[in-house]
Amino acid sequence: MTVRVAVTGLGVVCPLGLTPEDLADALAAGRSGLSQNPALAVLEDDRAGKVAKVPVRAWLKRRKDRKLMARASELALAAAGPALDGFTGDRRELGVFLGVGREPPDDGESEAALAAACHEGRLDPVRLAGPGRDRYPPLLPLKTLPNMALAHVSIHLDVMGENGAWAGEVGAGQRAVVAGIRAVAEGRCPAALVGGADSLVDLGSARDRLRLGAEGPPGEAAAVLLLEPLAGARAAGRPVLAVVDLDGKPTPTPSSGLGDEIRAAMGDLGAATVPVELAAHIAAGCPETLCLDRSDAGDVSAAISVSALSPC
Amino acid sequence: MNDIDLDRFGRPRVVVTGMGAVTPHGIGLDAAWAGVIEGRSAISGITRFDPTGFPVRFGAQVPELDPVDDRGWPVPDEVAHLAADLKGRLAVAAAREALSMAGLPRLGDRAGVCLGSEAARPSLADVARRMADNEPPDAGTLARMRPDAPTRLLAALAGATGPRSTVSTACTSSSQAVGEGVLRLRRGGLDAMIVGGVDVLVDPIMVTGFSLLGALSTRNADPQAASRPFDADRDGFVLGEGAGMLVLETMASARARGATVLGEVEGFGCSCNAYRITDSPPDGRGAAQSMAAALADASLNPEDVDYINAHGTSTMMNDASETRGIHRAFGAHGNVVRVSSTKSMTGHLVAACGAVEAIYSLLACRDGVLPPTANLDRPDPECNLAHVPKVAERQLVRRAMTNAFGFGGSNGTLVVSARA
Repeated sequence: MTVRVAVTGLGVVCPLGLTPEDLADALAAGRSGLSQNPALAVLEDDRAGKVAKVPVRAWLKRRKDRKLMARASELALAAAGPALDGFTGDRRELGVFLGVGREPPDDGESEAALAAACHEGRLDPVRLAGPGRDRYPPLLPLKTLPNMALAHVSIHLDVMGENGAWAGEVGAGQRAVVAGIRAVAEGRCPAALVGGADSLVDLGSARDRLRLGAEGPPGEAAAVLLLEPLAGARAAGRPVLAVVDLDGKPTPTPSSGLGDEIRAAMGDLGAATVPVELAAHIAAGCPETLCLDRSDAGDVSAAISVSALSPC
Repeated sequence: MNDIDLDRFGRPRVVVTGMGAVTPHGIGLDAAWAGVIEGRSAISGITRFDPTGFPVRFGAQVPELDPVDDRGWPVPDEVAHLAADLKGRLAVAAAREALSMAGLPRLGDRAGVCLGSEAARPSLADVARRMADNEPPDAGTLARMRPDAPTRLLAALAGATGPRSTVSTACTSSSQAVGEGVLRLRRGGLDAMIVGGVDVLVDPIMVTGFSLLGALSTRNADPQAASRPFDADRDGFVLGEGAGMLVLETMASARARGATVLGEVEGFGCSCNAYRITDSPPDGRGAAQSMAAALADASLNPEDVDYINAHGTSTMMNDASETRGIHRAFGAHGNVVRVSSTKSMTGHLVAACGAVEAIYSLLACRDGVLPPTANLDRPDPECNLAHVPKVAERQLVRRAMTNAFGFGGSNGTLVVSARA
């Protein structure tokens, strides 16, 4: 037994703006969110789609917790907070499903520890245990686990329901959204936050992308949608921004060109790609039914359709 | 589809037709199960690197994998680079055992793969090379470091071209991966899912990081006594490594091909603690919610469960919180249901623990044997449970529950049985 699922909340943090409206307006105006990133100065192309300032403070329960957050976690929380704004349901049952990128390389922060552990050009585990250990950031393992974006959203927004963090690249964001739609449609969650967060603009990630053959500049973003059963949302007078389904067929070129537009404007958004596409389409008022399947190499079996409540 | 193929809610029943494991007790299911039933610790001094000077000098390492018969499941050339490190080899070895046991042909598009895995770390040699030459790791190394590398590897190995996904929720990863496989099969359209998890934690950087967090036992003088869940003298967990894989099928698929059904996954639940990154809520509320969700998903009452394979990490906080969670979820039956933690013998397999411990739970149901909690000399009064201390016990196990709780507060619970 499944029910139709509505999008009733939306949050976006991306190089083109910090609200869905900013994003839609910037795309409509053809603006670029790419800029030179000093951290990438050693690369041939130093452009990146970087968010100037992530507005996360308003959503933190304890300001000091920011020290525990890697960039993707900050992006995720800053997008999830607004998506949940106005939700008055029981957060103990609220689900959260996020697509996340690969664990960010920790080389930057552990560099001092590793340097102290080197001896005659060789990394010496015994020195890592001594002088290296003294310089190792103790919180590093907890910042770099892939599920930390999910954890911070849960902790700071009191979300306690079914959850999942899907790791990978573009397909991870799609997988998370699909899982959330299913959880709500099948009645396992009365509502769910779904989306993705990724940051590829540090030097380590940017170099790794190039080494793996990726093209174009790196970017970073997060987008989070709040999903609720359509009937319940309407009965409660909740705003219905769009309706999502899983039974559509993707257009031959996976979308209406929105994906290419976003990539050109902000770079590679990794696991945030699909959620940002969905958010941009919804923010633009769902001018048509968008049906996309951005699975990488057969990673996802269901295409996501998003449309306005009245058939477009 | 007959009635026998459907559960109490009319959903396709999901059964287990293959299991494979590589644990610190050895390679293969028999070695893994024998080790825990004998109550034998597999924890010893670290040999994978020179641990001199480290605050923690022991771990739960898997034995070296000898070149073995590929059991008819060779690694395709296009993914051979993903099997080039220990993590890849562990995943392949466990998957081959599970696939062989299931007796499945190459799988095709009616089968998928869902694994729990974290990103791999580069070897110290790779890190040193990068620092000396200012060069990033090569493409093969980077591909192996991705969390979804084992998923891609096993999909190619098994010829499973259906849905693939990778769950990364720390210590809960493979519990949720098994759950995701169950949910997928219940929805129809698929016959089988390969699910499980793999992790390799005994490396210098992990030992450094987790010891700085104060999460690891420092009982260097007596490693075999270091992991002691629920004991009053516990002082932290022990890093381990291993892999556990299961072949899940719909009952209809298993019956149609005459497969031997080894057990059933009846329920799956998960929750978030919404508390702190490193700490569990003292009242065990998130854990209780996960356990209650799994019971509800299976349409069972607490009294229907005879054994809980606890997350039981041997940290002061986890074990007390889990105890309270069990009492919250189980009510009066929480004083009766038997509880043990196999991490007392295997250490903490992190992203692999959910799958490996689901396998132990299925075997407990199959054999009517409760694996013990080793080193449980003096149960902590804060952990007032019906323990199985030190020695395995014979008991009918109609159903077993297995918990996995992760850093960051994701919880996963499975309810399994062998009654199918």
